[in-house]
Amino acid sequence: MKNFQFFPAALSTRLPMKLSAALVLSGFFPLLTHAQTPTLSNPTVSAVLDGYYQSDDRLMTERAKGFGLGETELAFSASIDDMFYGKLTTVFESHDGENEVHVEEAFIQTMGLPNGFSVRGGRFLSDIGYLNNQHPHADSFTSRPSAYRAFLGGHYFDDGLRISYIAPTDLYWTMGAEVFSGDSLRAADEHGEREFDSTGVYTAFTKIGGDIGIESSWQLGVSYLRNENGQLTPEDHDEEEHKDEHAEDEDGHDHAASYTGKNTFVTDFVFKWAPNGNYKYQHLTLSAEYFRVSDFMTSELHEEHEHEEEHHGEADENTKDYHQAWYVSGVYQFSPHWSAGLRYGKLDSQLQHEEHFDRQKLKETELSVAWHNSHFSTVRLELSHQSNTGFESAQNDNVLTLQYVMTLGAHNAHQF
Amino acid sequence: MRINFKLILTSALLTLSHSAFAQFNIFACEPEYAALAKELAPDARIYSATTAMQDPHQVQARPSLIAKMRQADLVICAGAELEIGWLPMLQMKASNSQVRSTDKGLFFAADQIETLDKMTNVDRSMGDVHSQGNPHLHFSPERMLAIATALTKKLIQLDADQAESYKSQLKSFTNRWQLASVRWQEMANELNGLKVIAYHSTFRYLFDFSGIEQVADLEPKPGLPPTSGHLAKLLKRASQGDITTIVVASYQDQRGANWLAEKANLSVVVLPLSVGGNEQSNDLFSLYDSVLDLLLQEARAQKLNKLG
Repeated sequence: MKNFQFFPAALSTRLPMKLSAALVLSGFFPLLTHAQTPTLSNPTVSAVLDGYYQSDDRLMTERAKGFGLGETELAFSASIDDMFYGKLTTVFESHDGENEVHVEEAFIQTMGLPNGFSVRGGRFLSDIGYLNNQHPHADSFTSRPSAYRAFLGGHYFDDGLRISYIAPTDLYWTMGAEVFSGDSLRAADEHGEREFDSTGVYTAFTKIGGDIGIESSWQLGVSYLRNENGQLTPEDHDEEEHKDEHAEDEDGHDHAASYTGKNTFVTDFVFKWAPNGNYKYQHLTLSAEYFRVSDFMTSELHEEHEHEEEHHGEADENTKDYHQAWYVSGVYQFSPHWSAGLRYGKLDSQLQHEEHFDRQKLKETELSVAWHNSHFSTVRLELSHQSNTGFESAQNDNVLTLQYVMTLGAHNAHQF
Repeated sequence: MRINFKLILTSALLTLSHSAFAQFNIFACEPEYAALAKELAPDARIYSATTAMQDPHQVQARPSLIAKMRQADLVICAGAELEIGWLPMLQMKASNSQVRSTDKGLFFAADQIETLDKMTNVDRSMGDVHSQGNPHLHFSPERMLAIATALTKKLIQLDADQAESYKSQLKSFTNRWQLASVRWQEMANELNGLKVIAYHSTFRYLFDFSGIEQVADLEPKPGLPPTSGHLAKLLKRASQGDITTIVVASYQDQRGANWLAEKANLSVVVLPLSVGGNEQSNDLFSLYDSVLDLLLQEARAQKLNKLG
């Protein structure tokens, strides 16, 4: 495995850097040939190719109008020894002609702790919500629901530590807690003067699940995220500056959340069904999640805000100190080659504007049809309709996306 | 009256530990290994992750399976990459170090025997093939006996207290299996030389054992469902007139087979993939009986047709 030396060179920087992703990829390819006979316990290497054409821009997504590459991913994972498992996932992205490389996952996990405990450390995907711990390539739609895009920057991965426990019961019951640096979930800081906590995010989650007969399975989750750096600071800059900031918020490519708050609650539910429980030919997945991000105003902001309200004598129109979003989605696989999905989601947010808050609403409906030549290749056509109020840089319209997602190397695990 | 707290405490703890630990917990990836475990460890609590109606390649790492694996003392799977899409995920999520390595409570059947069709050069363009050979090895009487012997060793390693019981179970199983094998061999001899079209390499070992030749596969490539172009090719092959029947497993889609059967004037035999795949298959013995019987019925019917 001489080719390992490619890793440090390619990953030595966290910052997006200009380099030819193709060159790096070609450097990794010898590894892929090594991985042709992966066993259950030997190293696995996989690359995911993701490209698209999109007819228009969408709010808070990383995909821009026209042709582009999505998250082109290279992942390497293995048991390090009998105690540790490690995984490294690098992502190549290209935005506005610039190529970026970042490390999305670089974690170790304990394998030998007794009594159902495990600890994961490094950079990894948080286990809050249903979709967050899954790789976007496994999604049935081209973009994450607005809830994820607005509150978690698409999917929330960060540097931190997790401890989780699974109970020895026939009913699946797991629970865990995480601590993260929370950089990507910091509230906007226009002046760069604010002192943020270096350990900003704490989460706690629990999930239960089971089967109903042979054909159906379900999972229910509840999560809480506390963000010490999520509250906004009062704004006192001029309108011009504000607009710039806002524009960047809406289609920024930095994986940062667009809306933050001190407390975030998430509940999620998934139901899957397959005839005879046989997933080869047909199966159905229904899922729904609800997010509530609250307490984004600091106390002084609250007072100011209330003062303003009183001053203007307005009713409770804009006194909400929370954002919320939800979605429901259904995906049906008709045959091994074809699947279709429908998703509806709604986002209710408050945008800080001088000393008051403007209500924003975004409704999205997505219809997606995918063709799968095998487990490893998918071509997807998606029509999404968005209608919004309060977003400056977006119109109400239909967006058509054509996307491919293909996997080289190791077999992707089928996560529930 | 003096109450003996010590005694009460001890007995309470004993009851607790008895209910919690007394039963040896076995998680089987496929029903054939659950059935084998039942033969060898009848007192164990045995759970099968899949049924004979499910494709063992494509299983969801669903919550119930994670919960069951969390409690397992022993995990028995076919191996040879059959479960590569879901077993590692289950192991990761179940946080049960006992069943993570084959040194301890993980047992792969394919590791105990020689698999057929090992490949030195595997490429994805060949479809979903396994470089470690065909993992559907439970229809080889000889191999299953070797696996039973190895599994008994594993059971004794993990649950030494019951060693004597496991040894006598293996002895009984071996006797019955060898006796049945004579019968199966006789049935198989009658099937020798038959030509069939089948779906996937599911019955590779059965055909190997009985001398049946699978002249074509309904799948254009392993893991890919039949296409109309491929079926047209099969129809052409069937027109040579030497094919006895079309064989599909209980979990497989029968549309392609039925189409071909109608066009080529052939019959379709649905064989149970595993224990529970049809009414007759309640254990490994009746599974073998049922599978061979179904094929024999078909072969005899064909002979009668030709005579008539």
